Amino acid sequence: MTAYREVVVRTPLALKLLPILSVATFFIAWEIVVRTGVVPDTMLAAPTTVTQLLLDKFTNMDPDGALLHQHAWVSIQEAFGGYFLALAVGLPLGLAMGWFNVAEGLARPIFEIIRPIPPVAWIPLTIFWFGIGLPGKIFIIWLGGLVPCVINAYVGVKMTNPTLIQMARTYGASDWQIFKQLCIPSALPMVFGALQIALACCWTNLVAAELLAADAGLGFMITMGRRLAMPEMVVLGMFMVGLTGAFIGVIIDRVEKRLLAGIRR
Amino acid sequence: MQDAARPRTKIEVCNLTKRFGELLVLDDISFSVAEGEFVAIVGPTGCGKTTFLNTLSCLLPASNGQILIDGTPANPKRHNISYVFQEPTCLPWRTVRENVAYGMEVKGRPQKDIDERLDHILNLVGLTQCANLYPNQISASMQQRIAVSRAFAVDPDLLLMDEPYGQLDVKLRFYLEDELVSLWRKLQSTVLFITHNIEEAVYVSERILVLSNKPTRIKAEVKVDLPRPRDFMDPEFVRIREHVTDLIRWW
Repeated sequence: MTAYREVVVRTPLALKLLPILSVATFFIAWEIVVRTGVVPDTMLAAPTTVTQLLLDKFTNMDPDGALLHQHAWVSIQEAFGGYFLALAVGLPLGLAMGWFNVAEGLARPIFEIIRPIPPVAWIPLTIFWFGIGLPGKIFIIWLGGLVPCVINAYVGVKMTNPTLIQMARTYGASDWQIFKQLCIPSALPMVFGALQIALACCWTNLVAAELLAADAGLGFMITMGRRLAMPEMVVLGMFMVGLTGAFIGVIIDRVEKRLLAGIRR
Repeated sequence: MQDAARPRTKIEVCNLTKRFGELLVLDDISFSVAEGEFVAIVGPTGCGKTTFLNTLSCLLPASNGQILIDGTPANPKRHNISYVFQEPTCLPWRTVRENVAYGMEVKGRPQKDIDERLDHILNLVGLTQCANLYPNQISASMQQRIAVSRAFAVDPDLLLMDEPYGQLDVKLRFYLEDELVSLWRKLQSTVLFITHNIEEAVYVSERILVLSNKPTRIKAEVKVDLPRPRDFMDPEFVRIREHVTDLIRWW
C-alpha cells in the first residue's frame, strides 16, 4: 500500500436505502389501495395500469388522437416557442428599462398593470384572437415567461455599481457606451437567473393553456382523460409533464453552467 | 499664483460655487494649476473635498463659476479627465490589461495606439506579468494601481485623485506614492490629489491647497519645494508638514 490512502466518502446507509424504501412503499400502497377497491378505479388508476397505458400510448393513437411522444413534442414546441420569444422581448426590454428613462417611463406603467394578471386569465381573449392552435398557446406562454425576464434584467441593470458609472462618465463615456460596456455585463448574472425562472413559468403556463384550449399536448391529454373518464390517462399526463419539465430543467442547468463558467472565469 | 518657471496655466478654476439647496458647500473658489503640476488638496474631514472633486470632474454641475481647461470650459467628452476613486473601480469582467485600456476605448483611440500605450504603461507600473488576470485574482492594492494606470493611460489634461491610497497600510502606501510620483514625472500629467493625510500631501506634491471648513474656501497655499526623493525626517519636510497641520487646525 502507498502512503496515500483513498478516502471513500460513504453516503450514510439511511440515505441510500430509505429513498428506495419510501418510493417503493408509496407505489405499492397506491397499487394496493386501488386494487382492493378502497379508492374506486374510476377515481384513481393503479401504477400498473398507468404503466400499461404508457407502453401502449407509444403505438396506439386512441382514444385521444395522438401518440404519447407526439403530445410531448407539441408541448415542447409550444413551451420553447413562447420561452424564446419571451427572452427575445423581455431581456432587451428589461435591460433598456433599467438604464434609459424613456424606456422606463413608457414601459413601466403598462408592465405594472399587465404583470399581476395571471397568464391563464388571458386564455378566453386568446381563443378569440388565435383560436386553439399553436400561436394562441405560444402567446400565453410568452406572457408568462416575459415577466421574470423583464424584472430580472431590470434589477440587474439597476444593480450596476454607481462608482463604475461615475468612472465611465469622467472618461466622457456616452449613455449608450455605459449601457453596453457596464450595465449589460453587470446584469448578466441576473439575466442567467431569468433563463431558469422564465422556463419554469413557461412550462407551468403551458399546461394551464393546454388544459383549456388545445387539440394536442400533454395538458390536452390530461383533459381528455377526464372527459373519457380514464384516470390512468390523467395520471400518465401529469407524470409526463413532471418528467419532461425535469428533463428540460437539467438541460438548461447544464447549458447555464457552461455559459457561466465563461463569465465567472 | 503664477510661477515664472512654469510653462503655462492648464487648469483655471474661476469663482467655483456649489450649493445643495440652501446648503453652501463650495464658496467662490478660484485657483489655477500649471501644466504638469502636482497639486495636493487637504482639508478637515467633511469639508467638501469629494464635492469639490465631483464638481471639478463635471460629475456635478457647478452652481456658479466655471472650470477652464486650456481656456475652454471643462467637458469630459472633449477633454481628457481622469478620476481615481477611493474605492477600487475595476470592471470585474475585464482583465487587468483590458481594464487599463478602458478609458482609451471610451475615447475611441485606434487599437494600435491603445496597444502601444498599454505596453508602455503596464511596463512602467510592473503589471505586465498579471496583464491577463481578472480583478478577483489580484489584491485590492493591485486593483487601485490598475485604476491609477488607467487614469494615466488616457494622457489626461487633468488627473483627479480622491484619497486613492486611504485604505492601504503605511508601507504599501509609501511604495505606491513613489510609484505615483514616478509615473507623474515620466508622463507629465497635471494632477490634483485630494487627501486627509498631510504627510502624504507633502511627500507627493509641489503645492498644497488647504481648504477651510464648510462652506469651503481655499484658506492657504503652501509651496513644497523639496528635492526628490523626499525624506520624511528632513527638517524642512517636517516644518512644512507642521505648518500645514497648523493651518488645518486654525480656523
